[in-house]
Amino acid sequence: MTERQAPPAPGRGATPGKRKDGLAALAFLSPSIVTFVIFVLAPTLGVLYLSFYDWNLLSDGTFVGLDNFERLFTDERLLRVYGSTVYMALAILAINVVLGLLLAVLLETRMPRWLRGVFRLSFLFPFVVSAAAVALIWRFLLNKDLGLVNYLLGGLGIDRIDWLGSSVWAPISIIIVNSWKTIGFSILVYIAGLQAIPDQLKEAAIVDGANAWTRFWRITFPMLSPTIFFLVVINTINSFQIFAEPRVLTQGGPGDASRTIVEYLYDRAFGDFDLGYASAIGITFMLVLIVLTAVQFRFSRRWTFYE
Amino acid sequence: MSRTLSRVATFVILAIAALAITAPFLWIFRGAFSASDAELYKLPPTFEPANLTGANFGRVTDQVPYFRFFTNSIVVSTTVTAAQIVTCATAAYAFARLRFRGKGVLFAVVIGSLMIPIQVTIVPLFLVMSKLGLTNTLWSLILPGIFSGFGIFLLRQHFLALPYELEEAAKLDGAGHFRTFARVILPLSGPSIATLGILCFTYWWNDLLLPLVMISDTERQTLPVGLVLLAGRFSTGSLGTIAAGIAMAIGPVLIVFLAAQRYIVQSIASSGLKL
Repeated sequence: MTERQAPPAPGRGATPGKRKDGLAALAFLSPSIVTFVIFVLAPTLGVLYLSFYDWNLLSDGTFVGLDNFERLFTDERLLRVYGSTVYMALAILAINVVLGLLLAVLLETRMPRWLRGVFRLSFLFPFVVSAAAVALIWRFLLNKDLGLVNYLLGGLGIDRIDWLGSSVWAPISIIIVNSWKTIGFSILVYIAGLQAIPDQLKEAAIVDGANAWTRFWRITFPMLSPTIFFLVVINTINSFQIFAEPRVLTQGGPGDASRTIVEYLYDRAFGDFDLGYASAIGITFMLVLIVLTAVQFRFSRRWTFYE
Repeated sequence: MSRTLSRVATFVILAIAALAITAPFLWIFRGAFSASDAELYKLPPTFEPANLTGANFGRVTDQVPYFRFFTNSIVVSTTVTAAQIVTCATAAYAFARLRFRGKGVLFAVVIGSLMIPIQVTIVPLFLVMSKLGLTNTLWSLILPGIFSGFGIFLLRQHFLALPYELEEAAKLDGAGHFRTFARVILPLSGPSIATLGILCFTYWWNDLLLPLVMISDTERQTLPVGLVLLAGRFSTGSLGTIAAGIAMAIGPVLIVFLAAQRYIVQSIASSGLKL
């Protein structure tokens, strides 16, 4: 990769101007190239290499061919963990994209500037707080017997819910806590997209007598489609990588009900020191992300609209 | 009439959402100053200014080396942020303004790197660090964060949107690429660099996975791990102490955020994040 970056040798047909840019480009890019090669490219190739070995950090590793990949197919826990990861990730994605859009549209309606500022700040606030801190706070709020959430629900006549201890509610708790933390970022990106829609378009539609519902579907939604697409891609990648919330809130349990793939990988690697198998899991995870992103790009042509 | 009604409905929905999002923080800040746990567990929550105390904060610093965690977190987050701004801004300038061979391929590599999360490469990354003899040092938390495909992408989009005229003038004055970059491009890019700075700082301030993997020495841990330690050790103990620890971890990030938040909307709007 780096060799390709080198400026062309003299006399190989590059114009002098181009050659000058090539040297400058090498200088400007070298900090990124060096850090990329050592801390991204080498570890990525390393995952591939390790996945063919059986290794526990202490002894010498032994080459085991495709054994680690065969184990993937017989590991029932892995399938369950992927199931709960996909379930939680899709729910978080949907909440961010749909509820985020609703709140952003409401935020952009007419209201005093200071009020808009207060709302915007409150929505964005959890985004900058550490997921570990957020999860700790919610561990208290969602406590079955002493938590505020069950107390408030009790006021509405709803029985105590075992938020963190039941296999039905534990993943829902992770979904709520993660969406609560991330939705501010989605709202912010939506606001930026909404503000980029030219006012003339909306005014023309009002003059034509279109109601708010029609204006949303005929103007706002198509104009916003690149933003929605950006958020779908980013939120998919992020929600598949959840680690801190299950770690602190539920320890992945009960059973594997709220375990994510990253947590499973972490336990295999640094709990069992089964580094080869953890690497094979890492490769499946990377492939899932690449396929998901590629599929999203492919389908996006059908529904996104670029000026 | 119906217009007033819809404005009231809008306000009510937004107010409920804002309350649901901020209430847990208010509860934790109140808990941090609470004198007795019994009072904290009392439902409905009460608020009596007479019962407030600062003792919980002292208890946090007694139980864990809080100021060490804090210093470690500050060192890691600010170093990564400064280094990331340098590497991303220079690379983004090359992609936005220079002509060179292999530009398309390299940019595809940058975008591709977005799909390789650090969670996947964490095992070999740990090995790279231990080969370099850097595990259990703050370097192992700083170095992996310096390259950022997202940062290069964000700044490139922004640089592409800057008008060329100013650079032409600088070139006529005989400025080279480095001077054009430092004197023309950078001064015009405050908001987008601030955005990258905020996103980078909060990400590394909050990261839990990397310190858990790289650091075994308690003295070298960062705040998120410190919080988990505090809560783990006292999960049956004082709620007020944990609340105070959380409040002390949130504070600095809150200040950075409030100082720079107005840039975020501005720069995301102007860079037109389109894939």
